[in-house]
Parts: sequence; C-alpha cells; structure tokens
Amino acid sequence: MPPLEHILVVNAVLFAIGAMGVLTRRNAVLILLSVELMLNAVSLNMVAFAVYGHVDFGNITGIVFAFFIIVIAAAEVALALGIVVRTFRNRATANVDEVNLLKW
Amino acid sequence: MEEGVTATQVVFWILAVVMLISAIGVVTAGNIVYAALFFIASLAGVAGIYLILTVEFIALVQLLIYGSAVVILILFALMLTRARERPQALFGRSRPLGIAAALGLLAALIGGIVATTWTTPESSTAFEPVGLQAIGDAIFTLWIVPFIIVGVLLSIALDGAIMLASPDEDDN
Repeated sequence: MPPLEHILVVNAVLFAIGAMGVLTRRNAVLILLSVELMLNAVSLNMVAFAVYGHVDFGNITGIVFAFFIIVIAAAEVALALGIVVRTFRNRATANVDEVNLLKW
Repeated sequence: MEEGVTATQVVFWILAVVMLISAIGVVTAGNIVYAALFFIASLAGVAGIYLILTVEFIALVQLLIYGSAVVILILFALMLTRARERPQALFGRSRPLGIAAALGLLAALIGGIVATTWTTPESSTAFEPVGLQAIGDAIFTLWIVPFIIVGVLLSIALDGAIMLASPDEDDN
C-alpha cells in the first residue's frame, strides 16, 4: 500500500486540476466535467482515510460517504445537463459568459 | 513500508500518473469530445486506485455509474449543445487568473498535507479488505435513513431533469 501522504498529494493535484478547469473553461458542460473531477478527488480522499483508519466512526463510514457522493453526483449531472440543454434551446449558447440575463 | 518500493506502490503511481495526465487533458483539450474521452480515462484511473485501496464495491460503482451513465449523459449534452455556425473559444478571458488561483490552491493543499504528520499503520496486515457484506450492513442499518433520502433525491432530480429538458407545447 502506498503511504497516505502520497494518496493525499495525488488527490490534491487532481482537485486543483479540476478547479483550474472550472475557473478557465467557458462551456457549461466542460465546467461540469471539471466539477466531476473535483468530486472524484474528494471521494477518493474519503476512501483513503477510511481504509487507513483515520476516522472515529470505524472503517466503513468513509466508504459509504464515497458511495453517496457518487449517487448525488449522478443526480447533479442529470439536472445540470437538463438546464444546459434548456439554456441552449432558449439562448442558442452553452457558454456561461453569454448567459447574462440576470446580470445588469 | 520501510523496505522500499513495493509492487503496489508502482502500480499506484502508474495509475496516478495516467489519471492526472488525463485530468490535465480534460481541462486543456481544444476539442470537447477529446475532453470527454480524457474524462473516461481519468475515471478509469480513479477506479484503479479504488481497487488498490481494496474497496472493490466503490470501484464497481465508479465504473458502472460514472463510467457509463454519467459519461453517456455528458456526451449527449455535448452533441446536443454544439454550436454549429462558428467555432467557439473554449477558454474564458480570465484564464491566467484561473490558472494562478488553481496553483495557489494546490500550493495551500500540499503545504497542509506536508505540514501534518500522518500515522500510517506499520504492517501491511493492518489493511483488511473491506468486504461487500460489511458495506451492505453499514448502508442498510446505520445509514438507512440517508440512503432512503438519497434515493428520493435521485428520483426527484431525474424527474426534474426530464421536466427541464422536455419541450413545452404552450410556449412555442
């Protein structure tokens, strides 16, 4: 097994890459992909802590949390893509900086 | 852990490098379909790391839900929302600022990780593989209420997505 620090550093790099995607992309679907990368980093972190025994509730809790994160991410992707498709139908764009109806 | 690099660590670093390079591809690819394909590779790397951490259940869930359902949804959305008339710039104007902020976040996270002393269990026998039965027991006894809530949330979200994306006849 790799040491815990190595896993945490890899997850931090993955989280920062996802944050970079969120901050630099224009397309809403690509921003969503980057958010998924960040969620993956977080759930991998939780599983790592659970397996290495750093939680008080016992080993299972982090794994159950990773499972819940995956399920909620699926719900979030479905809703966000519905919104993106709707926006594209109304405004003919999927770029977040061109959807500025609420901005003045 | 002290006797040097084990085979598990070699496999872990190979998977980690593949995962991180694919993730960089996701956020820098100039073609949105390539970005989605890089995303699949990155998800496979994460699933491999779950296998190394001996949680086969989460690896399976990762491949089944992320690797198939979510990726297919995202590919459909990419195909449906592609602007046909003009090539689009994929990066916003605040790109240098975003890169700088992400690098700052990375420095803060790694600084925090390095500054903390983590206790790794000494022998490899301390790692007991977490069985499917233990995970099922935990989900269906201790976590049963969150499990039900998350199921209701999932069905509401999917119904809402259908409502949002379906065309309404009265407007147009």
